[in-house]
Amino acid sequence: MFGKFFYTLKAKGLHVTLTEWLTLQEALSQGLCNSSLTDFYYVARMILVKSETEFDKFDMAFDEVFKGIQSENEISKNMLRWLDKSDMIDEQHEEMRHVMNEEQVQIDKEDVEQKFKDRLRDQDSEHNGGSFWIGTMGKTSFGNTGGNMGGIRVGGSTGYQSAFQVIGARKYRDFRDDRILDNRQFQVALRKLRQFSTKLDIPKTELDIDGTIDKTCNNGGCLQIVMERPRKNAVKLLLLMDSGGTMIPYSSLLNELFQSVHKSNHYKDVKTYYFHNCIYSKLYKTPECENGDWIDTEWMFRNLDSDYKVIIVGDAAMAPEELYSTTGNYRGPNGGLSGMEWLLLMKRHYKRIVWLNPKMAPGHAPWREAETAIKGMFPMYKLTVNGLNQAMVKLMTNK
Amino acid sequence: MSDKKTTFTSTSQYVASKELLASVNVAVALQKPLLIKGEPGTGKTMLAQAVAESLGKKLVIWNIKSTTKAQEGLYVYDTIQRLYDGQFGEEGVDDIARYIKLGKLGEAFDSDEQVVLLIDEIDKADLEFPNDLLWELDQMEFYIHETKRTVKAKHRPIVIITSNAEKELPDAFLRRCIFHYIDFPNAELMEEIVRTHYPDVEDKLLKDAMDVFYWIRSIKDIRKKPSTSELIDWINALQIGGIPTDRLREELPFVGVVVKKDEDLETVKHRID
Repeated sequence: MFGKFFYTLKAKGLHVTLTEWLTLQEALSQGLCNSSLTDFYYVARMILVKSETEFDKFDMAFDEVFKGIQSENEISKNMLRWLDKSDMIDEQHEEMRHVMNEEQVQIDKEDVEQKFKDRLRDQDSEHNGGSFWIGTMGKTSFGNTGGNMGGIRVGGSTGYQSAFQVIGARKYRDFRDDRILDNRQFQVALRKLRQFSTKLDIPKTELDIDGTIDKTCNNGGCLQIVMERPRKNAVKLLLLMDSGGTMIPYSSLLNELFQSVHKSNHYKDVKTYYFHNCIYSKLYKTPECENGDWIDTEWMFRNLDSDYKVIIVGDAAMAPEELYSTTGNYRGPNGGLSGMEWLLLMKRHYKRIVWLNPKMAPGHAPWREAETAIKGMFPMYKLTVNGLNQAMVKLMTNK
Repeated sequence: MSDKKTTFTSTSQYVASKELLASVNVAVALQKPLLIKGEPGTGKTMLAQAVAESLGKKLVIWNIKSTTKAQEGLYVYDTIQRLYDGQFGEEGVDDIARYIKLGKLGEAFDSDEQVVLLIDEIDKADLEFPNDLLWELDQMEFYIHETKRTVKAKHRPIVIITSNAEKELPDAFLRRCIFHYIDFPNAELMEEIVRTHYPDVEDKLLKDAMDVFYWIRSIKDIRKKPSTSELIDWINALQIGGIPTDRLREELPFVGVVVKKDEDLETVKHRID
């Protein structure tokens, strides 16, 4: 059964290694799980999962392996016996166990629900410490602050939080790394651009002062010079952001991206321009996209050389004429070319371009005509942690 | 309870959730480093102090900065001092051991009793930093080349590592750790936390302040969500200021303690009107 759990975790995409698995076995043999499924859940999670972004995957695997067991009564008894080593349960549990008889351990979910409904209907006052009505400190399967291990909780918080309730809440879903990203996660992803650029193959041109002093002192005072590679990042970044009407719902997201790029001050150069729906002959200097406050796209081609890595952020939701017509730009000049032709010029000029789309359709979506056309031209990623990471790798390695 | 406890419990200064207590105790039992992540201000650094206090052990703190090298935690060979001493003919220049200074990790290993070692904000350092410490944290020993001495931990320290997730940590490093993510405390736990800091806070003040606090956190377009430590500061400010509690909601006195960014302040004010 444990083997199955291991492979289910693997199947859910968690990279559990044998080392960690053995650590878990050790924890089990030391009795750290207090013979409870809930404690087992936490212990297994803290040993096997190393990022809150993966808690959700773990929850789903745990659910799959152990929930199936709960509904099959025969194994369920085994499971309970296996978990039920009273000598290892701490004092508090011991006390609680006195009030629980065999019948209550084998919880019949439907029965509990039925009783709960009945009492809900019949009960007309507050109850504390009883064994029949819904109330606090009691022994029935419902109410709160009670000692019953698997019933229905009404408000409050649990003392014996059932593993399945924790899972059911799926409270770590927000941490999944395929979710739309926000604030500092951007910065973390953008740092990838540095990760790939520190090992640049450039000559050793800088004097390593610490190294020189060390070597010289070790050398008995005779000067021995040590040189090192400059730790500079050669990455130059060009950020082009769509600021059109359909992007307004994502404005704070784009703002975060903008902030993150500028906070990551390790780039050699960062340039940011804005466009409205599609790139035409002018690029705006501010997100307001006001006429006049712009630069020529051709000026950009001339002044920002092809080494710039380009990140285009936009929803690629243009009307077909905005993309294909030479008069498709309803906000400003077209410059004699259609949007598509301008994009082709971009592609020809810059070696590395990625497109980030906050609302990209999953899979193939031919009905989104403009998006499909642009996907064919630039590698497009969804604006999530995963997507941004992939995009950064693409920018650095062209893989 | 005696002074030498073996399991960690919440202290008078630090309230920990059940899962966090379990993580600490599992890490201690399995002799693995405990890696703590969580939103800023959820008490990651304070945890180590609480663990040390609760178990009655000495705390050794190694603060990591962006320039910190793994070697600095082990030992530093003060070659310059030796050069100076050599020039002025000081006594004992030929004894290299005099110029070997143990770092924080070395100090923890070399200690005569078990200590709690906090490696704070490990993600600040270079990407390679955690990998450089793998052997040392695994085997709890390192070798000083200059003096041919092996420093081996007399008692395995309890290692607590915090991270703000600014950088991904290498897999090989993560494999060896016990991981815990500190959730943002729910209202109930939060109340307990505030009460450990200010035991005689007025009920109404606390309730209103917490309502406002969670409300601010729930605003979608807020940039920096206020954290536990900011709530604690705010309640302190409200107590000292002696603000009548009935106007808390409308006026938000000292709200700058909770909301730090100008844009956020605007957002909050806008929502109230």
